[in-house]
Amino acid sequence: MTITAELVFIVPEITLLVLACIILIADTLHIEKHATLTYWLAQIALIVIIFLVLIDFPDESKRLFFGNFVSDSMSGVLKVSICAITICVFFYSYDYLKEHELIKGEYFVLGLFAVLGMMVMVSANSLLTVYLGLELMSLSLYSMVAMHRESQTASEAAMKYFVLGALASGILLYGISILYGVSGTLELPALSAYIEAQSGNNILLVFGLVFVIVGIAFKLGLVPFHMWLPDVYEGSPTSVTLFVSTAPKLAAFAMAIRLLVDGMGPMAGDWQGMLIILSVLSMAAGNIIAISQTNIKRMLAYSTIAHMGFFMLGIASATQLGYAGSMFYVMIYALMIMGAFGMVILLGRKGYEADNLDDFKGLSDRSPWFAFIMLILMFSMAGVPPFIGFWAKWFVLKEIIANGYIWLATVAVILSVIGAYYYLRIVKLMYFDKPQQMTAIKASQEMRFILSLNGLSLLFLGFMPGALMTLCIRAIGY
Amino acid sequence: MLMLTDVLVLAAILFCISVAGIFINRKNVIILLMCIELMLLSVNMNFIAFSHFHGDIRGQVFVFFILTVAAAESAIGLAILVVLFRKRKTINVADLDTLKG
Amino acid sequence: MIEQIIFYFFAAILIISASMVITVRNPVHAALFLVLSFFSSAAIWLLLEAEFLAITLVLVYVGAVMVLFLFVVMMLDINLAPLREGFTRYLPVGILVAVLMLLFMALIVSSDSFNLNQAEGIKHAADYSNTAELGLILYTEYLYPFEIAGAILLVAIIAAIALTMRKSKTLKTPKPEQQVAVKREDRVRLVKMESEKRDT
Repeated sequence: MTITAELVFIVPEITLLVLACIILIADTLHIEKHATLTYWLAQIALIVIIFLVLIDFPDESKRLFFGNFVSDSMSGVLKVSICAITICVFFYSYDYLKEHELIKGEYFVLGLFAVLGMMVMVSANSLLTVYLGLELMSLSLYSMVAMHRESQTASEAAMKYFVLGALASGILLYGISILYGVSGTLELPALSAYIEAQSGNNILLVFGLVFVIVGIAFKLGLVPFHMWLPDVYEGSPTSVTLFVSTAPKLAAFAMAIRLLVDGMGPMAGDWQGMLIILSVLSMAAGNIIAISQTNIKRMLAYSTIAHMGFFMLGIASATQLGYAGSMFYVMIYALMIMGAFGMVILLGRKGYEADNLDDFKGLSDRSPWFAFIMLILMFSMAGVPPFIGFWAKWFVLKEIIANGYIWLATVAVILSVIGAYYYLRIVKLMYFDKPQQMTAIKASQEMRFILSLNGLSLLFLGFMPGALMTLCIRAIGY
Repeated sequence: MLMLTDVLVLAAILFCISVAGIFINRKNVIILLMCIELMLLSVNMNFIAFSHFHGDIRGQVFVFFILTVAAAESAIGLAILVVLFRKRKTINVADLDTLKG
Repeated sequence: MIEQIIFYFFAAILIISASMVITVRNPVHAALFLVLSFFSSAAIWLLLEAEFLAITLVLVYVGAVMVLFLFVVMMLDINLAPLREGFTRYLPVGILVAVLMLLFMALIVSSDSFNLNQAEGIKHAADYSNTAELGLILYTEYLYPFEIAGAILLVAIIAAIALTMRKSKTLKTPKPEQQVAVKREDRVRLVKMESEKRDT
């Protein structure tokens, strides 16, 4: 196929790049107080991208652009979900930014570039494109965190995020250079074929693998490489925390699958053990430290660490069903955390961030409906049946038990039960404590509507998890 | 005549110097940024050595992209540093204690 | 033989200057030592026949990135004394970690598993152009990554401007569209006056 014929497959990426540039120009020329035009254009751009991916949905795996790009159903599903999640994130952000007078057109433009980076990562088929997609995403995210210039904590969080992120990229690159040196190729399938053909255990491959895993663990925030995550979540403006905690996790899942499964599948025996150690440490540290937190953003950050550990278990099982379980988990996780941070945004108002646990006290008196939505979110995160969070955990656990890791499943269940404590504490605060303030919740109708939809979707998906799981299994089984 | 091992060990030394630098200069953000540049330099050294000994130009292409990204990265890093300094009047990491971590 | 001597010479300079980067007191000196490290790396890259990248390293890194570093160091009025606190405390641990890591890494990278350790590097003829070959592959096989790299640079521009540009409220700037729209009547007023008579 010639390059011009192949261009058809990257139409969504090209369109996104072109639209982002147009929006950037429109933003500079059309100065207004609330950047309304930029916001709506960004939303329209994301909807257009979803349609473009859906119209030409990839149903078979195609490797294009001299093996730099892969188009398969996993990439299609993830691209659609990333764009859909970003639409909701922008929605919540817009309300928040307007309320706190932080609004700037560049926020949405950089968000679009971050989405472009995620799309590149999701369909990366060589070590080079994985790296470039990762950097495009990370650089946009660093600057989005720093965007709130008047806040000390935001610039501090941005600096920490930047230094540790750059360090992680450096370590990842060192691993990639070793892999290139051993195999002499940058393409992931060729690397996999080389490892397959190798007889015996090549210590250099394991050496490269260790660096790659450390890089991935840094980016995902797995213990012991998690130090940046709570600070970044707490320090950033809530709208940016919301973005950092949702869509990039899907991209990180894709990066792990591309590098470990597509690139180093035959070495599964080596990376399984490392991932299991990281997962158990993350679940333990995340769930236990979260209990002592009083700031909800920080608490959710530790809960993220625990969830990331759980989701890694699916990949560690090294089976198709395990990967599908992980994919299901990460998509559901993004939905849940989005609702939780959406709630923090909803309760905040001008000059006031509702990020203390005390702000949730007696929420049921102030607004029974949103207390109920938060109840769904917290039950779902804790993994109480029949909410969808339970099924996400269930699919992953089923797969690791099927692979004979009964002790691992037991540990995971015990740690999740410990974790349930701090989610249920919020429910207790909302329903059984006296409110500290009775100010009415002040948010736009649209915000209320989307947040309710977000919460209820977790309830309804919980009654029919089968459809989404089938989708994930079909997406993974290339 | 030049051996691959020599270059690789040189790159490993550079990598370790940069890690040590991050470890001992944890207070000075500017030096931290320079250590990250050193780390990327060591990775580039690896790639160029492999490219030379494999007779494969792709390693050099990768270095080209790393150089591009690293330039963008340091621009953003320094911009964040300037924002931070305007607000805090310090680049001392120990003073960055508004957040607990 | 001569190649090896040149290599060891520049490698020694590289290691010394890199160590100075992380130990000197003054960030300006650190930046200048980093420049020296880049220069000696460029020399080693020339030995490894990566001519284009060696030149790029000097032009892009020394010429742009390091100048940016120096610019920022000098622009910010940094109090150096507190930055040195704890330096001697971490130094022994840092050196220990680095040496252990280095032993481990050196042991592994010098093993024979690359299968080409003893092989000679590929030598090219005198009329071989590294730049041409790099350009050829960059604009064909690596077209897609090349475009992404462009997007990354664009993000860097947007981010740097959005983060550091300050609009002062007291700043007065001319507005071209208003300047153009000005008519003669707005600026010049013709006043008709009767000529005065000299009263003598």
